[in-house]
Amino acid sequence: MINYLKRILFITFVNVIDHFVAGLFLNFFIVLPLTFLTYSLYVYRSNKNINSSEAFLVGLYIDLISETYFGLNALIFCLTTYTINLYANSFKLFSYLQICLFFGISASAYVGFIQLVENLYNFSYLVLLISSPINILFCTLIAFISLYFPKSLNKSF
Amino acid sequence: MARIAPTPGQKLSYFIFLCISVSILYLDITSNSFQSIKNSFKSFKVSAVYITNEITIEPIKSVINLTKSKNDLIDENKNLKDALNVSYLNNYLISRDNNFFKDEEIIKNAIEKKNYNFSYDIAQLRSLDPNIYKCCDRHRMHIEILSNGENSYKDNVVFNSSGILGLIVDQNKNKYHEVLLLTDVSHSLPIKSGSNQFFCNAKGSGRLDIIVCSYNPLLWKEEMSINKEFYTSGLGGIYPKNIKVGFLKEIVIEETTIVRLEIKLTTNPLEDSVLGVIKY
Repeated sequence: MINYLKRILFITFVNVIDHFVAGLFLNFFIVLPLTFLTYSLYVYRSNKNINSSEAFLVGLYIDLISETYFGLNALIFCLTTYTINLYANSFKLFSYLQICLFFGISASAYVGFIQLVENLYNFSYLVLLISSPINILFCTLIAFISLYFPKSLNKSF
Repeated sequence: MARIAPTPGQKLSYFIFLCISVSILYLDITSNSFQSIKNSFKSFKVSAVYITNEITIEPIKSVINLTKSKNDLIDENKNLKDALNVSYLNNYLISRDNNFFKDEEIIKNAIEKKNYNFSYDIAQLRSLDPNIYKCCDRHRMHIEILSNGENSYKDNVVFNSSGILGLIVDQNKNKYHEVLLLTDVSHSLPIKSGSNQFFCNAKGSGRLDIIVCSYNPLLWKEEMSINKEFYTSGLGGIYPKNIKVGFLKEIVIEETTIVRLEIKLTTNPLEDSVLGVIKY
């Protein structure tokens, strides 16, 4: 229970950072979904499969604190968790670059889907095209950090 | 340790939760069913931030102020600033260029007798997410009405010192109210040209400071030019007429029968923190 609370608090903290960073990056047509990436990383690094109910509840909680439509993050988090659980063993055969590509493209898909629902009338391909390589680069950077400082990331989860 | 692939039972539970998520999303988009939950959370968040601020930052600030012996000056400065903000609102209301009420005599008499008795409540901007305001279609803000009355403020017009901002959309009688801004895609504002020869329903564009108005040029013959000014027409029954809304920024000819006007608003909700709410 305490572990769950810790994770929720950590995700809330990342969401607050996400909120501040979004304002800066949006001026350059970049959307960096830190909360989604943190949750994906948590599911990826978890030793056991994450329940669908946990994914759903975390998604609903993110919907509430980030003022998006209810069910939007819940839906995406459920899909992401299922996909990562499904390919959890296959990831071990992938190189780091392939995994970074997977998470970067997932983050881009997340941005696209969120923009499609939240910003339908002003949907911008420019945001999507610029955000995709930035997200992949960001994931690569995180992978580098976990390679050079493996303990610090393991402690987080 | 190897993770086992999802079993059929787990797949079924994922499918059920996906269906629930889609249903909730559909309900929220189409009928705004969860608005009360969102508003309650927003009120809680604003109150929590306020209390945290009062407990943590304010005591430190007051200690610093005490050491500098400038308390009186700071209080006076704060009072003057509040009074100045209120006077900006008053000036906007009594200005001859603007007309909040259908009966122009009310304003004329008030100016002549120097007796301004306009009915509006002062409100304070409590929350406006600049990220959502810059990025997305939903342009909302939350305000706190600084009055003791338990009136329902639904559909009341909110304005600041530069003009109208939008209207209150929630029905609760709490202090905190949600305001639908003019630029929200679900907002519609009846406008007219200065010559009274052109009328249109301007919709929010979801972009900063822009509302759009589509019309058939075969029906409305008035010639449009950049920087042409637009005013509220008062036809919707919510906004008073003859209030300056903005000026024409761009004319887009979509088809031979559809022309879209992009109107840049004169008001900016991020400009002032003190607002007025018109009482009817």
